[in-house]
Amino acid sequence: MGRLVLRRLGATIPVLLLVTAGVFSLLHLTPGDPIDAMMAESVDATVKETLRRQLGLDQPIPVQYAAWMKRLLHGDLGRSIRNGEPVLESVGRRIRPSLELTALAMTISLVIAFPVGILSAYRHNGPVDRVGTSFALFGICMPNFLLALLLIFVFGVTLRWLPISGYLDPLEEGWSGLRSLVLPAVTLGLALAAVVTRTLRSSMLEALTEDYVRTARAKGLSEWAVLRGHVLRNALIPVVTVLGLQLGTLIGGAVITEYVFALPGVGRLVVDAVFARDYPLVQGVVLLIALGFIASNLLVDLLYGLIDPRLRRG
Amino acid sequence: MAARRTGVSTGTVSRRDFLRTAAASAAVASSAGLGGVRVALAQTAPKKGGTLRVGFYIEAATMDPHLSGSKIDRQVYHNIYEPLVTLDVKLGIKPGLAESWQQPDPKTLIFKLRQGVKFHDGTDFNAEAAKFNFNRMKTEAKSVRKGELANVDSVDVVDAYTIKLNLKKPDAALLATLTDRAGMMVSPKVAQERGGELERNAKGAGTGPFEFVEWVRDDHLLIKRNEAYWNKQGGPYLDRVRYRPIPDDTVKLQSLQAGEIDVIDYVQPRDVAAVKADKNLVVVDVPSLADFAYQLSHTKPPFNSKPLRQAVAYALDLDQIVKGVWLNVGVPANGPIPPTSWAYDKSISPIKRDVAKAKAKLAEGGKAGGFAFTLTTNNLPINVQEAEVMQAQLAEAGIQMKIKLVDSATLISDGNAKNFEMISYQWSGRPDPDGNVYQFFKTSPGTSLNWSGISNPKLDALLDQTREVSNHAERKKLYTEVTKILQDELPMVFIVHPIEPKAFNPKVQGYEPIPDGMMRFKDVWLR
Repeated sequence: MGRLVLRRLGATIPVLLLVTAGVFSLLHLTPGDPIDAMMAESVDATVKETLRRQLGLDQPIPVQYAAWMKRLLHGDLGRSIRNGEPVLESVGRRIRPSLELTALAMTISLVIAFPVGILSAYRHNGPVDRVGTSFALFGICMPNFLLALLLIFVFGVTLRWLPISGYLDPLEEGWSGLRSLVLPAVTLGLALAAVVTRTLRSSMLEALTEDYVRTARAKGLSEWAVLRGHVLRNALIPVVTVLGLQLGTLIGGAVITEYVFALPGVGRLVVDAVFARDYPLVQGVVLLIALGFIASNLLVDLLYGLIDPRLRRG
Repeated sequence: MAARRTGVSTGTVSRRDFLRTAAASAAVASSAGLGGVRVALAQTAPKKGGTLRVGFYIEAATMDPHLSGSKIDRQVYHNIYEPLVTLDVKLGIKPGLAESWQQPDPKTLIFKLRQGVKFHDGTDFNAEAAKFNFNRMKTEAKSVRKGELANVDSVDVVDAYTIKLNLKKPDAALLATLTDRAGMMVSPKVAQERGGELERNAKGAGTGPFEFVEWVRDDHLLIKRNEAYWNKQGGPYLDRVRYRPIPDDTVKLQSLQAGEIDVIDYVQPRDVAAVKADKNLVVVDVPSLADFAYQLSHTKPPFNSKPLRQAVAYALDLDQIVKGVWLNVGVPANGPIPPTSWAYDKSISPIKRDVAKAKAKLAEGGKAGGFAFTLTTNNLPINVQEAEVMQAQLAEAGIQMKIKLVDSATLISDGNAKNFEMISYQWSGRPDPDGNVYQFFKTSPGTSLNWSGISNPKLDALLDQTREVSNHAERKKLYTEVTKILQDELPMVFIVHPIEPKAFNPKVQGYEPIPDGMMRFKDVWLR
C-alpha cells in the first residue's frame, strides 16, 4: 500500500509537467493578449509595450514557461496580471466553495444512487427498476444549465423555498449557507446520481449471475448478506472508478453550474481568467485542477485495494 | 405573498408609467419631463437606512479609476469617487468636486475646488491632491487615462483650492471627459501607501457619498454610507449598497423577481417585454451613449474599395435589425453620435436599404456578381443573431458574408492588429460627441481605435475643428458635416444606439436616469 502511494506520487511529476506545459503553450498560442484585454480603451502602444516587457510577455514562450516553473519551485505561483493579486490567494479562496459543492453533490448522488441502483438490480425489470432507469435516463440526458434553470424557477421563483443565486459559506453561516448550496448541489448531484445508478445497476446485474452468488445463497446466507457481502462488494469497482473521475472534475470546478448560480468557485475563476488571458492565474488554477485529479485517482486506487484484496499487492 | 404585494402594486403602476414616460422624454432630452421625475420621486419624504442589493452582469475589474478599462467599474466608482465635474440628466455639465470653472483662453482651464471636502481616509481634498491625481494619471505605468488627458500639458496649483490645466492644444471635449474616470480624485495618501493594492481595496480612497468596505471577488462588493459627506443636501440615505455579479441574465432577472436583489444594471432586449408586464417591477429605459457598429478595413481588399463598402451599407436593413434583433430596445443609427447628445442631427436619416442601389455599387466596384468577406464578431447571443440577420440581408444583394466568432480578447487584438475585413465594435459611448468620434476616424498611425484605417484629409480637418470650437451650436454643425462624410466613406457601418433598461424593485425610490447609464445612489432610498 505504501509503495503504491509512493509510486503514484512519483508519477504526478511528469503529469504535472505535461499538463502545465500543454496549457501554457495552448494559452499563449490562442489569439488575444492580456494587456489588450485589460486596457481595452487605452491605445497607447508604448504603455502596452512597457507593461508587456515588465511582465516578461515579450519573451519566447519556452523562456516564459521556464521562468514560471522556476518561481513555482520556490513556491511562488505569481500574481494575476489583471489585478495584481497573488494567484495562490485567489485560488485558495475559490477552492472552498468548490469543495463544499463537491461534497454536497457527491452526498446527494450517493444517497439517491445506492438504494435505487441496488433495488433496480435486485428487482430487475420491476417497478423500481423501471422508475430508476427512467430517472437515470432523464438525469443523463438533461443538460446541467436547463435543470438548473428549472430548479430555480420552481424552488426559487415560484415556491420561494430556496435562494436563487449567490453563496454563503456553510462552515461559517451554517443553515443559510447550506441553503445557498442546495440548488447547485442538487443540479450536479442528480446528473451524477444518474450515472452512478446506471453503473451500479449493470455491474450488480452482472455479479448477481456469478457462481459465487449462487454458492453463497446455497450455503444459506440471508439475501441481505449475499447482496452486501458478495454482490455489492464485487460490483463496487466500476462505481468507484466513475465516482473518482467525477470527483476530479467537480474539484476542478463545475463551470456552468457556478455561472448559473453565481457561485464564486474554481470553475468561474478559470474561465474568467482565460477570457482575460490572465496567464499566471490560468496556470495556477490548472495546476490545482491537475492536483485534484491526481488526488482523486490516488484515492480511487486506494479504495480499489480496500474493496478487492487482490489489487492490494499491485 | 400575493396579498402583501397587491397593496404595493396599485401605487406602483402609476409610478412605473410615469417613469417610463419620464425616460422616454429623457430620450428626446425634454427638460420638463425630467424635472418631473425628481419631484414625483420626492413626494414622500426620503427615509434613511437599509441595504440596496444590486445585480451586475459581470464582476468589476479594478477599484482604481485611473487604471480601469471596464464599463462596470464605473458603476461602483460613481458612488465612492467623485469627478471634478458631473453630468445632469440632459448631459449638461454641473459642478462636482470643482465648484466652478473658467476658460480664459482655449488652452487654459481653471477649476475652483470645493472647500471642506475630505477623502474617506480623513485627508483633505485640495489643489495639491488634484494635481497629484492628474500627474498620476499621466505617468503611472498602468494608467488607462493617458489618452483622455493627452492634451493636458501640465497642472499648476494656483492657490490651495484652485488648479490650472495648461493644454497643448484646444480641447472642447476635455470638460466632459472629466465627468468620468479621468476627473475622479483618489486620496494621494492611499495611492502612495497602498500602491497596486488599491486595485483590490479602495478603503479610504474616495470622497463620494459612499465608502468602500470590502470586495470578495465574484461574490460581492460592499460600500457603506459616508457619514461625513460634504454635500448636506439630500442623501446619502442608504446604509449600504451591496453589488453582486450574477453572470446569467435569466438568473439575474429571476433574483430580482424573487426579491433577492433590488436593482439590475441591464435588462436583455429579449426580456424587456416580460419585465415591463410584471407589475412587481419598475423598468426605467435609460437611453445610452452607446454606438454599436462594424468597422470596415480600408487598408485591404475587399473594403479598400468604396463602392463595395457602400454596397454593404445599402444591402443592410437597419429597421429590420433593430426591430427583429434588438426588439426595438434601441434606435437605428445614422452615425456614431447617439440621439441623447446635443450634437445629434435628426435631419440625417440612417442609411436606407436599397438592394438595387447595392447591386449597382457592386457593379461599380467591379464585383457585379457579388463577393465574399468575413465578419469577426463577439460570440454572444445578440451578436450572433445580428450577424445571421445581416448575412441573410447581404445574401439578397449577392454578397456572401462568413461569420467568425471570437471572444472579446481576440476581438480587441484582431482589431488593434487590423487583422480583419469587417469587425464588430461596441462602444459604450462618452458624454461629449468627441468621445464617440475623434479617436475612431482621425488619421492615426500605429495602434488606435481607428481600426478601419480611414485617412481622409477633409475629415481630419473637421475633426480638429470640433475640438477647437467650444460653442455647442457651431460644433453641432461640424458634427453634421462629419456624419455626412462618414455615411459616404463608411469607415464603419453604423447599426444601433441601444437603450439600456434597468429594472428595480418598487421599493427603490429616487433614482435619476442619467444617459451615461451609471447608477448613482446618493439620493436613492428604500421605501
